[in-house]
Amino acid sequence: MLQGAISIISENWLLLLVGQYPNGPLGGIAATLMLSVLGIVLAFPLSVLIALARISRWRLLRAPATALVYLVRGVPLLMIIFWVYFLFPLLLGANVPGFATMVCTLVIYEGAFLSEVVRAGIQSLPAGQMDAARALGHSYPRAMRYVILPQALYNMLPAILSQFISTIKETTLGYVINVPELTFAASQINNRLLTKPFEVFLILALTYYVVCFGLTAAATWLERRIATRRAGPGAAPLAIMETAG
Amino acid sequence: MIRFQDVNKWFGDYRALVDINANVDRGEVVVVCGPSGSGKSTLIRTVNRLEEIRSGAILFEGRNVHAKMSGAELNKLRSRIGFVFQSFNLFPHLSALDNIILSPHRVNGLGRAAARDRAMALLDRVGLANRAHSFPAQLSGGQQQRVAIARALAMEPPAMLFDEPTSALDPEMVGEVLAVIRGLAQDGMTMMCVTHEMSFARDVADRVWFMDAGRILETGTPDAFFGAPQHPRAQRFLSDLRSR
Repeated sequence: MLQGAISIISENWLLLLVGQYPNGPLGGIAATLMLSVLGIVLAFPLSVLIALARISRWRLLRAPATALVYLVRGVPLLMIIFWVYFLFPLLLGANVPGFATMVCTLVIYEGAFLSEVVRAGIQSLPAGQMDAARALGHSYPRAMRYVILPQALYNMLPAILSQFISTIKETTLGYVINVPELTFAASQINNRLLTKPFEVFLILALTYYVVCFGLTAAATWLERRIATRRAGPGAAPLAIMETAG
Repeated sequence: MIRFQDVNKWFGDYRALVDINANVDRGEVVVVCGPSGSGKSTLIRTVNRLEEIRSGAILFEGRNVHAKMSGAELNKLRSRIGFVFQSFNLFPHLSALDNIILSPHRVNGLGRAAARDRAMALLDRVGLANRAHSFPAQLSGGQQQRVAIARALAMEPPAMLFDEPTSALDPEMVGEVLAVIRGLAQDGMTMMCVTHEMSFARDVADRVWFMDAGRILETGTPDAFFGAPQHPRAQRFLSDLRSR
């Protein structure tokens, strides 16, 4: 079986890596990573805006942002994919490629989820930080920009990274609208070979695992680094030793 | 310079400030004391409108802080009132120097180089020029509070408010912070200071306000207040302090 898996990889590595590119659309791991990166990078500024609207004192901002977050959290991702897939072409009056559909979906979905992370990051800071900034004469937007958000976003880095890992796994659903990402490529191979589903999907699972595990390890490392930095130099190792002993 | 006129504040059903009428003159140092929960911190936080009031007015340089005004006007007003918090509230993501530079640079539009020079001079004044590039987590409580005072002074406010500036400090660090505040008093800064440091109050205050249950029950010179308090509640408060 191992031999089978190796031969599948050696015969199909290019398809797994980039899909049919350059003779067709970019696919495989490259498409999966591009979808995830684009999804999270575009969702991030949106999530900050949603979070700011969620904690705004104006109902006019708060209500729609809250409704959006509750709505997106309340329906499965697959539903949103279908909505975007069928609705956007109608609204735009033009054909929307699967890749773009998937990016739009991920931005909406991750934007809503990340906004809760951002909101928690902002609200977990001591109230004294905002008080101090306002007492010095900073306006609310300036206090947010120079005092609150830099701290909140820094503290949230591990949570953002873990959201990114979820996003990678969520791109697999692009399969249902024929986005040629990694799962789609594996399924193509499986359809061609017909007799080796176990090997093919083992390769697929391992590939996802390696990418996601690598990022999880990075998140853990980052979390530890932030904890050390926040405690001040020297303080953290000492504290760890004390609790360990 | 700071005038409270019939100030009332409620937290829900609780009356936090009751008919406050009082005055801080230019160059005067007022120490506000009283048992915890008496409204001292609330009172001082109403001066720069970190707390809203229900009724009355608080005049700062003749202008009602609690009047209807634009955000920009309020920010301008706040930038002229230095505020020092019990928990320092330094911005932990910025070095001591950058904590001080941020507001003159971003609020008053002072150039970065000029703001930096001013910040260094202020750090020198509070005895921390050598810690300019340290982050708050690397500083002791007393050092953090001294940076916080320098940060407030960087806006060149004509008045400073201190909300229990030494209550969160280890005893051996209280002195270094009080020395800085004492220096400000000698330079003629108008100040309101909520504190439990009675020897400091005796030395530095021009007048003491004694508060309980949201009211100012007694005001007087430190000699009069500590020597012969008039109000029974003040007498009990002082004897409790002495018996500790």
